[in-house]
Amino acid sequence: MGAVAVARPPDNLTASAIGSCVVTILYDPASRIGAMAHAMLPSYSGAKEHESQDTKYMDAAIDEMIKKMVTQGAIKGNLEARLVGGANMFPKLKSYIGRDNVLSAKKKLEEEGIEIVGECVGGSVGRSVEFSVASGIVTVTTKF
Amino acid sequence: MLKSQEIIREAAMSASKALSKLTDVPVAVGIHQSNLLSVKNLQPGLNPEELVVGIYLPVAGEILGGALLAIPKKDAFMLSDLLGGKDSGTTRKLNELDISALKEVGNIVCGTYFSVLANKMKIRIIEQLPNYSYDMFGAIVSQILADLTQTAGKALFVEMEFVFSPIFFRAYYLLFLNSSELEELL
Repeated sequence: MGAVAVARPPDNLTASAIGSCVVTILYDPASRIGAMAHAMLPSYSGAKEHESQDTKYMDAAIDEMIKKMVTQGAIKGNLEARLVGGANMFPKLKSYIGRDNVLSAKKKLEEEGIEIVGECVGGSVGRSVEFSVASGIVTVTTKF
Repeated sequence: MLKSQEIIREAAMSASKALSKLTDVPVAVGIHQSNLLSVKNLQPGLNPEELVVGIYLPVAGEILGGALLAIPKKDAFMLSDLLGGKDSGTTRKLNELDISALKEVGNIVCGTYFSVLANKMKIRIIEQLPNYSYDMFGAIVSQILADLTQTAGKALFVEMEFVFSPIFFRAYYLLFLNSSELEELL
């Protein structure tokens, strides 16, 4: 968790056992540069100062993805996003962390002007995801 | 003896007694290994994609945190056979009765640890209702970590087995704490 990775074809990016965390996938179809971030917490606004750039936070992770992608040649205006995760693994537990992670990711992407073209979020099921940077196809699997 | 080892040993003995009472057969709770891990880099040694039954018992009172009992799918199904008085290998899918029985096992095991901790520390720990999940271990644990990460510093990881002679079941216990006093105790 907190990992941010950038890749080009023929590499695939994967994340497994996603619960309340949200995996954000950014893709520039023109340059075929993709990135994935696996963040655990909604926002660093409440974090300690030294943690503010910690990519376990959704907003910091998205900032880092954009920065790394642009450095490698992606055009920010081309980016499109997909979101996976944000579940509540204990349906009877009053936990809003998954929902807040999704809301935080959406808010940050809107602020950055990045369109969300796909999402598989919420519910109470764990997910794994594979992103083919060559094709731009995102495959989400569950154990059920 | 380390305090954490003493707590684990006492809790295992209490859990053995309580599970024996629940099932009406002698049950021994064995400890394979235990480690005190940093929550920030938690690697409990179980495949994150492994399907487990997870029973999570949050606590309130003078300390905040929770405990998770994770039972791998195969062991949970075998345990359901035993708890439900079914022939071995009968359980293919967990029904409400199976889930209720597994929650009770989780409640007993997690509860005994909290009782021992409360006695050692002379504090009041208020147990909340047990919560059930059946999914990938990593997905379950990450949510607990996310809920507690701002406060919890350490997690106690215990690999255990329940012996209903001659059958035994694997289980994994994780205790998440936010109290610095408790970290010192452990």
